[in-house]
Amino acid sequence: MGIRATKKRLLVSVAVGLGLVLSANAQAASKYPDIGPLPNVKINKNKAELGKRLFFDPRLSGDAAISCAHCHNPEKGFADGMALSDGYPGNKHFRNSPTVINAVHKNRWNWDGRLGTNLNDVTRGMLTEDYIMNMDMRIMQERVKQDPVYVKMFKDAGYGEPSNGSVRKAIPEYLKTLTSKNVPFDTGKMSASAKKGKALFKGKAGCIQCHNGPNFTDGKAYNTGVEENWDVFMDTDRHQAFLAYTMFMGVENYNNLKRDPGAHIHQHNPDKSDMGTFLTPSLRELTHTAPYMHNGMVKTLDDVVAFYNNGGGEDSNKDSRIKKLGLSGSEQKDLVEFLKSLSGDPLTGDKYVWSEDYPEEYEAIENWRQVKN
Amino acid sequence: MKTLIKTGALLASTVSLAMLAGCESTNSANEGFKGSLNAVSQTAVDAKASASGFAPLAPLPVSPAIPADNKQSDAKVELGKLLFFDPRLGGDASISCASCHDPSQGWAWAEDFSRGYPGTVHWRNSQSIMNSGHYPGSFWANSVTSLEAQAPSAAKGGVAGNGENDIMTARLALIPEYRKRFNEVFGDDYPRIKNAWRAIASFERTINQTDTPIDRYLNGDKSALSEEQVRGKALFEGKAGCIQCHNGALASDMEMYNIGVPPAKRWEEDGLAQITFRFELYAKGSNEKLYRTAKADPGAYFRGKNKWDLGKFRTPSLRYTMYTAPYMHNGAFYTLEEVVDFYNKGGFDEEDRTTGWPKTKSKQIKPLGLSDDEKADLVAFIESFSGDEILMDKPDLPDYAPMFTLEELKEAKK
Repeated sequence: MGIRATKKRLLVSVAVGLGLVLSANAQAASKYPDIGPLPNVKINKNKAELGKRLFFDPRLSGDAAISCAHCHNPEKGFADGMALSDGYPGNKHFRNSPTVINAVHKNRWNWDGRLGTNLNDVTRGMLTEDYIMNMDMRIMQERVKQDPVYVKMFKDAGYGEPSNGSVRKAIPEYLKTLTSKNVPFDTGKMSASAKKGKALFKGKAGCIQCHNGPNFTDGKAYNTGVEENWDVFMDTDRHQAFLAYTMFMGVENYNNLKRDPGAHIHQHNPDKSDMGTFLTPSLRELTHTAPYMHNGMVKTLDDVVAFYNNGGGEDSNKDSRIKKLGLSGSEQKDLVEFLKSLSGDPLTGDKYVWSEDYPEEYEAIENWRQVKN
Repeated sequence: MKTLIKTGALLASTVSLAMLAGCESTNSANEGFKGSLNAVSQTAVDAKASASGFAPLAPLPVSPAIPADNKQSDAKVELGKLLFFDPRLGGDASISCASCHDPSQGWAWAEDFSRGYPGTVHWRNSQSIMNSGHYPGSFWANSVTSLEAQAPSAAKGGVAGNGENDIMTARLALIPEYRKRFNEVFGDDYPRIKNAWRAIASFERTINQTDTPIDRYLNGDKSALSEEQVRGKALFEGKAGCIQCHNGALASDMEMYNIGVPPAKRWEEDGLAQITFRFELYAKGSNEKLYRTAKADPGAYFRGKNKWDLGKFRTPSLRYTMYTAPYMHNGAFYTLEEVVDFYNKGGFDEEDRTTGWPKTKSKQIKPLGLSDDEKADLVAFIESFSGDEILMDKPDLPDYAPMFTLEELKEAKK
């Protein structure tokens, strides 16, 4: 925290010094943690390597059909390229798969922000949720223990014997390696248009009010009026997951919900003013992670900017800061260019992806009767 | 006592004595039985049986006792049948109750271990649901006391159905036909998962077989058994001593014994089975020592964590066994001949392997000294507990449909 805070102060003073304070919104910009490069994170190589193998291993789901990478695919910016995600076989998901690139730089996860502790909890949540990976972690532990490659990797990583607890540590360690790389915004190699867009971002367009800090998110939930994706309700495979989720989270009258409650699911504001609020997403890696918003209803970055320029969508809970922006065509284009400058190189290749095969069958432990379980 | 009362209601005679015996049998209190009842009249067998503390063989009542809190109705049974075959009552919607209790496999699964949830294998043999409505409890360790409690345990177990209440409930709500039927049968606005288990239990109570040769014989048709089977019956009730545990209308006292079944060899050879073995030790609650060292199924131990229960399993019914091979809690034997050989050797298989928990092995299990002819007679008699195979086709299952129209969704106030 200490390092981060120091950096922020430094960046804010630089920004002010450069005279970027152009408008009322820009004056407001200084109130927000400034955008800037992501902090470096220390990575334990062996633990991260183990986490990588786990992340791509379908044996970590209940019926051994899907891995984390099924919905967080490196070829799709560690998202899945679909409006709504697949989820576990037998059902489908009701939200857009968020990228896990830079997930380590967040302090709150899931579109509804229901997990606000750490990636260990997020890992557990995704593995065990019945409509996501439906894994009984006790079975997972014993599967992992059955694979000699894992037994060695856990030992080399300093975890000793494989356990579900260390799975939940190793995967977050791997996620640390998924930090944006070679991003024009971070390296300063931005086009003139992108630079103009940056000024708009912090100024006239007011994006920085929520998309702030090194990861371009304040970690809070807002309603911007994004249109509902009716597939959530019309596709019974998705609706069943949605019902399971709202039922489990204790939303009243869940069978009659006709909209995604968002952060209301865990905030439960009595006046329901938090209905339809969703966590501010990071803006990093957007070029790899279309479509956008919690339900994939916005297909392109041009559409995203046009959406905000129009003052967002229709919703009684819409945040008061979402207003028509009056951006010209070229201003909108500049803003899109800026957003594009926040995406780095694709995180593909062996450094980020486990490409070796997994055994098709579990090898039997030899001399089973003689050795300890 | 609750389970014993239920059992008692099924028995044709000697009810109170049988119940008393039942109370004590896990502690091997039946050892007074000497197995010397050769070639005596049925009346004498009955009398002796009573005196020795077990119920005589008896015809199975036409239908099982119906619990007061889950009355049968045609509509409930019909709903239960649909649900029994419906894979949406499980984790990934690919397997139903009928997957491991397949009517064409004796309402069980014809391999040593039950097939288990995709990606897993079970660690015990799948038991037939035939006549299960008459059982005072379910599972190999009698760990639940009703069919209503068995169904969710199976549907939710990690190596069985691996389903969870919320998504299974959600799926039922999205099937209009079920919404209608649950409303008619239970008055539910939206199907409650608990009522799904009640309907399935009601359906299972209709899966019975009461017209077997042994039933006809015990009801007075002396021609129902062949001469060979009659000789086998005498051995069963006499020299072979089977009746000590396989007694009453189910040919089971439903009590726990360690008869010496050897640990599954599959655990030595199959990695997937090794995973499940450790998972079960872990999930059912083992101390470190048991988890690290167990190489055999602790069985009834998990119910009370009493070491005298290690390796004990419920006496299975002998009914319908012609269709439910393989046998024993781990499917160790694929034929009735092997089963009889095993008992004849005093609880040792053909390689002289026996239980992994020798300290709890029942003293009632001793070499029997049966000749080959006697063994054949015994097998023939055991076959008299099975009638014709009872098959059932999978019903057409109702489809999902969206709860709302697009117009209703669009009209909803935001």
